[in-house]
Amino acid sequence: MKKFMILIVCSFLVMIIAACSGDKASSDNKNEVSIWVHTSKETAEGKAMQKIIDRFNQEYQGKYSATIEFIPRSGSGGGYEDKINAALTTDTLPDVFTLDGPNTAAYAESGMIAPIDDYISNKDDLLPSIIQQGTYDGNLYAVGYSESGVGIFYNKQMLKDAGIDLSTLPTVDDPWDWNQFMELCETLVNTYDAPAIDMGLNDKSEWLMYAFSPFLWSQGGNIVNEDGTKAAGIFNDEDSVKTMSFIQDMVENGYTTKTPVEKAFQTGKYPMKFTGSWTIAEMDSSYPDVEYGIMPYPTSPDTNKLVSPSGSWQYAMSATTEKKEAAGALIDFMTSTESLTEISLANSVLPAAHSVVEEVKDKVSPQMNVLIEQNSKTAHARPALPKYPQVSRVFQQTISDLTYDKNNNIQKLLDQKAAQIDKALK
Amino acid sequence: MKNINARENIAAYSFLLPALILLGLFLLLPALIAIYYAFTDYYLLTPDNTQFVGLDNFIAIFKDPIFIQSLKNVGLFVVCVIPVQIGSALGLALLINKQRRGNMFFKVAFFAPVVLSLVVISVLWLYLLNPSEGLINVILERVGINPQPFLTSPDQAMYTIVFVSAWQGAGYQMLIFLAGLQNIPSSVYEASKIDGANKWQNFIHITLPLLKPTSILIMITTLIAAFKLIIQPMVMTQGGPMNSTITPVYYIYQTGFTDRLIGYASTMTVVFGILIGIVTIIQSKVSREDDSK
Repeated sequence: MKKFMILIVCSFLVMIIAACSGDKASSDNKNEVSIWVHTSKETAEGKAMQKIIDRFNQEYQGKYSATIEFIPRSGSGGGYEDKINAALTTDTLPDVFTLDGPNTAAYAESGMIAPIDDYISNKDDLLPSIIQQGTYDGNLYAVGYSESGVGIFYNKQMLKDAGIDLSTLPTVDDPWDWNQFMELCETLVNTYDAPAIDMGLNDKSEWLMYAFSPFLWSQGGNIVNEDGTKAAGIFNDEDSVKTMSFIQDMVENGYTTKTPVEKAFQTGKYPMKFTGSWTIAEMDSSYPDVEYGIMPYPTSPDTNKLVSPSGSWQYAMSATTEKKEAAGALIDFMTSTESLTEISLANSVLPAAHSVVEEVKDKVSPQMNVLIEQNSKTAHARPALPKYPQVSRVFQQTISDLTYDKNNNIQKLLDQKAAQIDKALK
Repeated sequence: MKNINARENIAAYSFLLPALILLGLFLLLPALIAIYYAFTDYYLLTPDNTQFVGLDNFIAIFKDPIFIQSLKNVGLFVVCVIPVQIGSALGLALLINKQRRGNMFFKVAFFAPVVLSLVVISVLWLYLLNPSEGLINVILERVGINPQPFLTSPDQAMYTIVFVSAWQGAGYQMLIFLAGLQNIPSSVYEASKIDGANKWQNFIHITLPLLKPTSILIMITTLIAAFKLIIQPMVMTQGGPMNSTITPVYYIYQTGFTDRLIGYASTMTVVFGILIGIVTIIQSKVSREDDSK
């Protein structure tokens, strides 16, 4: 009886210990690399990745081989990143893994990922925003495999009915400034007695940082200084005040709203929506009857410089991998023109390289082409800061706080927020 | 004889062992590790460079306006939600305690929100409370009240969350109250009837005092649960507007997993844990003193 008990207890302990010692993601074979990606196997993106890996294995047969593991992330980005963090702590990271653009700096600074300058053969072909996003401290650490972009989606019929000549609308080469855009909003508000545009102000997440920071860059402002060490005197300067006043005016004049009606643009309640490339897919599949166009970002009247957001998931190499050659070859293969074209077309995302832009140009919708053109000419990556999450959150709160009447004093608000960023950067 | 005793002891401990190991592994050990991390600058991405920083984190969190704000917010939440939730739970329990037709339907209806996931509840209310097209504002407008901003106003957001939380949670406490009510022997009511007590006197002098043990249990569990508020603000307001609904647990989550400052987040966990401990001890002392009177 006693022995039996001890046996049970011991086997229980063994089970616990066995459960705790996870197996290493990377195999011992020097030419066999593993890659973790954040999508699910069933998505178009996941399927395209699997195909690319299969092609890699075929092409490098006998030399290198790769295995892919899909770790789908949840809506807010959890799940996958938790697994990466856990693998980091237990030293079980794979040789290659995907990471979101804004994480580059934090991962690079903490020595999680290795510089890959030497392994990427088509650096000149990659879009500047892709290089900007993957670079930290002068080295290229990660390569994005697609791009994203935002534009102003407009309902053609509703604009026509409001007496607007569609041929006068702005293009990427000839954008409108904020004042011209607000005039359009005024006309639309008067015609439809509803907000002219849904800017997603109810989405208090990364969206506010991603989509609204280009306004600040268009004005010539910035969130932090070049070295990424200071926000005071930058985030609360005149340029920021002007940018934030524009956003506040959009809300206060009723051109947009912080509580938009769900799917208002898709169902013809609002004439315009400020949204990204993903909405194109949604329009195609669920609202094929709505005729819509896309116009580029409005620009600051002071500079007239068109700036649009960018950013995407990227591939990077784990710093601890002992198979740098094989891992480098895999990343280079996955970011070649052929692979990037495959993933862009499959997932209907914007292309990440000049050559891919040429490849997909004739195969995508005219709306998509507006975003592609805007992206390849004007995209600006988000700042590469190790403390990005905090900085982004303060920016999001700034935009969100602006829309409350209490905050008519923008200068004071920005002074506070700049101090908050400085505290996080310390 | 002694041998048998020892044997029985071993057997007893062996039965306890799985529970003890699991508790130790998933509760006690993490708690101890958190206390250790509270004194370090552990950054999630550089676990190897962790350094001991003494009391720096403790000093910093009391200077952190958002942490202080989150404590105030959860204080407001607790103070409001306890009476509302427990009051409505008691009310509902009294309503369905009497034998009448359709009782089962109401029991299920009142309990249904408890079964649903908090995320589902939060999303549901998010739609109902939408200031421009939500059902609540449509109804308010019909009866001549101006549409309210609810979750999009720094002044109303927390009260809205109080309401939603009470609505969701009350069903559970109702069931416990119901069990308490049904444990009160009918002979007591019969005796008071002979003495000529009316319904109100019955309630004040019999029902309430006899429900006391149930109430204390409910108070303590609701209090602790209320302090842990995170899902409703996370889904409905993301802590906004203007940090009016950020709660300590939510802020700890943000600091630890978004900002990756595990050390700093652990410090807040420790301090917040101690605070909850103090409040719980005070509460149980107060209710025990009441008892001895």
